[in-house]
Amino acid sequence: MGAVRGFLGHPTVRRGAQLVAGAIFLAAALPKIADLSAFATSVHNFHLEPVVPVALTNILAMTIPWTELVAGLALVAGVRPRAGALVYTGLMTVFTIGVIAAMARGLSFDCGCFGKASASKVGATKLVENLAMLAVGVVGTVERR
Amino acid sequence: MDRWWSDGSETGSRLWQGVFAIAALGCALGIAQNALVARGAPKDALAWRYTPPVVPTIEGVQQTNGGAAAAPAAAPAGTTAYTDSPLNIGEASAGAEIPDVNFPMQIQITRVKQMYEAKEATIIDARDPQEYADGHIPGAVNLPHETTVTDLDKLEKFDPKGKPIIVYCGGGTCEASLQLGYALIGAGKHKVLVFMGGWPEWQTSGFPIAKGPTPEGA
Repeated sequence: MGAVRGFLGHPTVRRGAQLVAGAIFLAAALPKIADLSAFATSVHNFHLEPVVPVALTNILAMTIPWTELVAGLALVAGVRPRAGALVYTGLMTVFTIGVIAAMARGLSFDCGCFGKASASKVGATKLVENLAMLAVGVVGTVERR
Repeated sequence: MDRWWSDGSETGSRLWQGVFAIAALGCALGIAQNALVARGAPKDALAWRYTPPVVPTIEGVQQTNGGAAAAPAAAPAGTTAYTDSPLNIGEASAGAEIPDVNFPMQIQITRVKQMYEAKEATIIDARDPQEYADGHIPGAVNLPHETTVTDLDKLEKFDPKGKPIIVYCGGGTCEASLQLGYALIGAGKHKVLVFMGGWPEWQTSGFPIAKGPTPEGA
């Protein structure tokens, strides 16, 4: 465990994870910002109404991409990167829960994760992808010692 | 060297300040973008309060129209939120005649099954070819929403063999099948129905399924 902790706590590893996470969020944010209504459709398809009131789902569609963009910029530029990594990890956790919830209800649709063009479906592949991206975020959040 | 934004000082309340600042800035920019779009081109902006489209049922249409083919004013494809209160279609209304109106109506699974068994409808699967090949309602024709919804030529050539059309997709509210429904009506088709429970509901009901890239008996 000591070796793993030492590796994950290494400044270069942490910075690398932050850069990867930042690049992921920038790649995710820009196509969504360019086509908000497409992303809104994806948000509707997730059927969040047990948790989030239906009326608010468009607000989510507006604010998620820009929060991704700001967090992505913070991560890449190294301005408050740890806060950026925490936002990234928090959002990625929510996204992953959303994917699991959708899968559990048998829904199949374009998740809009990286905008419309990528057209990745909610499913097992998406889940594994999300867990990997989540891990990157956790490494990027490690406190500097 | 410790700058004000440097990594080293990001602990405790400073860390959470940063988190809050990123979230607040992101939300503010998102709201601002939509507000600006709304000022410039209101049609492209998202509604501040989202109201899900309500697709009228056959019975709902018959009630409001007294069974006549008269329809509410035509709406732009895929954008309308009908406010008709959808009535639940049950066994009692199983045989109800399908009105010929210029918008898609929703149909529930019991009626879909009846029409499927009686071969009273032409069924369209609006999902991707891969999903269609993995399993679909037997006899359903694959018209993927992604590539077909803007392909007026293909929609016009589609032959429902004089039967009502049932469109389904991956479930949820399935806006894809609703949009394809509007597109089909735009291409001159009649009696277009949307099965909103879609593939997940059909599959979990244990109804017959077929696999492969082409429709059965075609």
